[in-house]
Amino acid sequence: MAVRQDEAVEREVRIAARPETVFEFLVDPEKQVLWMGRRAELDARPGGIYRVEINDQAVARGEFVEIVPPSKVLMSFGWEGQQAAQGEHGVPPGSSRVEVTLEPDGDGTLVRLRHYDLPEQARDMHGQGWELYLGRLATAASGGDPGPDPNRPAD
Amino acid sequence: MRALAEPHRRRILELVAGVERSAGEIAAEFAITRPAVSQHLAVLRQAGLVEERREGTRRLYRARPEGFVPLRDFLERFWDERLERLRLAAELEEGRRRSGSSSG
Repeated sequence: MAVRQDEAVEREVRIAARPETVFEFLVDPEKQVLWMGRRAELDARPGGIYRVEINDQAVARGEFVEIVPPSKVLMSFGWEGQQAAQGEHGVPPGSSRVEVTLEPDGDGTLVRLRHYDLPEQARDMHGQGWELYLGRLATAASGGDPGPDPNRPAD
Repeated sequence: MRALAEPHRRRILELVAGVERSAGEIAAEFAITRPAVSQHLAVLRQAGLVEERREGTRRLYRARPEGFVPLRDFLERFWDERLERLRLAAELEEGRRRSGSSSG
């Protein structure tokens, strides 16, 4: 199940909003937290910080690499609390890349997200999965109700 | 949800990844009490991350590879969920702008 180097994670979604509107959600901290994380520190210029607190356990961190309004954002990406020495178990801050491109599609936008350059050691079974979901599994397994996914704050 | 950050459980998983170990061997690695270690093992087992085998009076533990979410699967799910939220948030914002910028 290893993720090979040529196997970037690629996802896309069509959004009924103009690229200009969608773009703001990638670079404005107040808008960022409406779709990802509960706190965000974003300095949207090359070398600027990208830090998004997802929940108590997960903080995404990297740097902006390239910003082309309103069509592209490229950033380095990883998880805080994961050092190089723990590489086997994760993706240290800034160690991978996330590229988001926005392409006009009629009166909407086609959003493509590509997550690549994952550290080699992290591509195997020891992914983020248990980091983030162990608690849910444990709660559920011990008879408790894990409740809604903590990665998805209530609207 | 603090369970996620439990360093002992992480360490236990590392200890039994690919190697079967007894409860005693695992407990010997920790300063915490044996019952506390047993409790962590029970949670890991219930979560499907560790499996237990009995050999006489000994209990042996080993990580279950199938209990781990492969990174790729995790990231696909992670980003799908985020992008769906992005869609909802951006469409809401677009709706506000369109109704705000035009009177008809």
